[in-house]
Amino acid sequence: MNVLLVEDDKQVGDFIVSELREAGHSCVHCHDGEGGHQAAIDASFDVMVIDRMMPRMDGLTLINTLREAGDYTPVLVLSALGDVDDRVQGLQCGADDYLVKPFAMAELLARLEVLYRRVKVPAADEPTKLTVADLTMDLLRQHVQRDETVISLQPREYKLLEYLMRHAGQVVTRAMLLEHVWGYHFDPQTNVIDVHISRLRQKIDKDFEHPLLSTVRGAGYRLGAEIDG
Amino acid sequence: MQIREVVSSLTFRYIVKYMMVLSAAVFLVLGAFYLYFSYTSFKALGDNVVDELDTLQLVYRGQGLEGVDQYIADQTALPSVNRFYYLVTDATGAKVAGDLPAAPRYQEFDDGWLGFEMDVQNWGKAVDVDFVALPAALGDGYRAMVASDYADIEERAQLVFQTLFRVMIVTLILGIIGGFFSAARALDQVEQLNQEISRIVRGEPGQRIKIDGEAGYFRALAMVMNQMLEQMETLMQGVRRVSDNIAHDLRTPLTRMRNDLSQLRNRKTPVEGAQLEGLIEECDDLLSTFNALLRISALESGSPLASGAEVDLSALLHDVVELYEPIAHERDITLLVEVPSSQKCRGEADLLVQMFANILDNALKYTPEKGCIRVNLCTGLNGAGHKVTISDSGPGIPAVERKNVFRRFYRVESSRTEHPGHGLGLSLVQAIAQYHNGTVALGSNNPGLQVRVELP
Repeated sequence: MNVLLVEDDKQVGDFIVSELREAGHSCVHCHDGEGGHQAAIDASFDVMVIDRMMPRMDGLTLINTLREAGDYTPVLVLSALGDVDDRVQGLQCGADDYLVKPFAMAELLARLEVLYRRVKVPAADEPTKLTVADLTMDLLRQHVQRDETVISLQPREYKLLEYLMRHAGQVVTRAMLLEHVWGYHFDPQTNVIDVHISRLRQKIDKDFEHPLLSTVRGAGYRLGAEIDG
Repeated sequence: MQIREVVSSLTFRYIVKYMMVLSAAVFLVLGAFYLYFSYTSFKALGDNVVDELDTLQLVYRGQGLEGVDQYIADQTALPSVNRFYYLVTDATGAKVAGDLPAAPRYQEFDDGWLGFEMDVQNWGKAVDVDFVALPAALGDGYRAMVASDYADIEERAQLVFQTLFRVMIVTLILGIIGGFFSAARALDQVEQLNQEISRIVRGEPGQRIKIDGEAGYFRALAMVMNQMLEQMETLMQGVRRVSDNIAHDLRTPLTRMRNDLSQLRNRKTPVEGAQLEGLIEECDDLLSTFNALLRISALESGSPLASGAEVDLSALLHDVVELYEPIAHERDITLLVEVPSSQKCRGEADLLVQMFANILDNALKYTPEKGCIRVNLCTGLNGAGHKVTISDSGPGIPAVERKNVFRRFYRVESSRTEHPGHGLGLSLVQAIAQYHNGTVALGSNNPGLQVRVELP
């Protein structure tokens, strides 16, 4: 994907650029708000990563300006301001996701991927059925089955699997799961998500030859038969 | 002590101003007194003169001119200093009787009174004396005039006035001297206080201002300042303790990482992924410690939440319990939930979840297998005030340690080795509770720990 990075900290910026290139994405790096604005007008990007506090136009103003000009490229705000208020403020002014510094690169990559897919594959019609390899989820009947076996899930397990299936093939981090499956944004301190995942894994993978739910070390989880690019 | 310093001091200037106002007031009173004294004295004198004229008229009517002459002769023979002087004239204005000259230079006043000066023999000396006189008709063309001197009144009035004036001057001088000394004393005390404080500021925070002398403003001031110093010292110690803890708790993992990294550098064989993963994990731990610290500071330094959004506390507690249920299940711990449905409170859901998650996480960490954890919610009448109690069947915390565990990085000694964690969980719990204008307290569950969170 084609990423626009607007970040004034040179070290953080260079690190993100090199990591993004390593992951096979192209990236344009601007060092202040005005430069970012110009770059966003000049070319079209798949996603944007924008810092909040920057010289010559702060991040939120930049997003506002872009949105007012009709540019709805997904934006992830990357900021050291991590209070609930800051987050709400960021999302209210048109950002699609908010990540607080310090952050893990894997988290950033996973979130960008999700933003990218959301635009790339627009959910024109809400699907009634999700399918990943031989695992299917009937959203209307809330029915899950793999191959021929019916799998019974607790409500939360169902939600967890639904989120994973909707983002099949993508890396999903623990923070993303907490945010979207449980609806809270906090630091659980222990590996509580891992326990939920291993429970789910027990139900969907245990008796099958090919495991679908894999752990991505240092990042999170991925649901899918094979690793795709 | 410089005199100029004292003179320019606030106390002295105040006292001088006060004395000036006081003197003006006293002077006015003095003037009024003088006027009143003179008026009453002259009035008495006038009355006496009028009485004497009446007497003369009576004598004339009874005994005629001879009787008057006799009466005047009798009166003037009296050896009194303050006696009356008389003049009786006939129709032509010629003197008939009396001891006043027939026509002295009279000065006429408005109401018939006359004034003149005359020499009077006083113990053999001629003294120039002021007189007042009142003429009246006796009858048959005869006229009489009675005069009296008022030198004694003048003298008395002057004496009173001078005495009072001198007293005032003396008072003023004494007042200013007193003001000077009290100003000097106040300055002295301020100077002493100054020196004490600058001594403490210069680097002896353990010192206190000496409290001696009698009770007074300065003593009270010194005591308040000592209290302030006490508080400052406690705060400073707190900061020092936290930074010591940070240094200790962060240095250990950093040192370990550094050693691992230098080992990796010195190794000839290619670096293994697992070792790098370990290092990254350690980094992540450090980052999360820093994040927790920053969150606590942010919550503590900000003002408490004014009014948050409405949060369904019951649902929130159920969510937290549900999130941790698998861990409890894994270790065969029973989770009892006694939460009535749809109890609402105001706050920030993410923070409240963090708080209850921390408490529950702790409870799960310390409760042995097959133990029991109870989550209970009590709400006051009309939904005012919520009390969440989370009790476990773990080892509990000794009463003496209960206050300490809320301190940053503090960890009960026995748990340091047995259980992982950075020692910030309960600090964050407290910060969140206080941010919501609530409290958190620890108690015993006999055995086990009971954490009580009260929210408004």
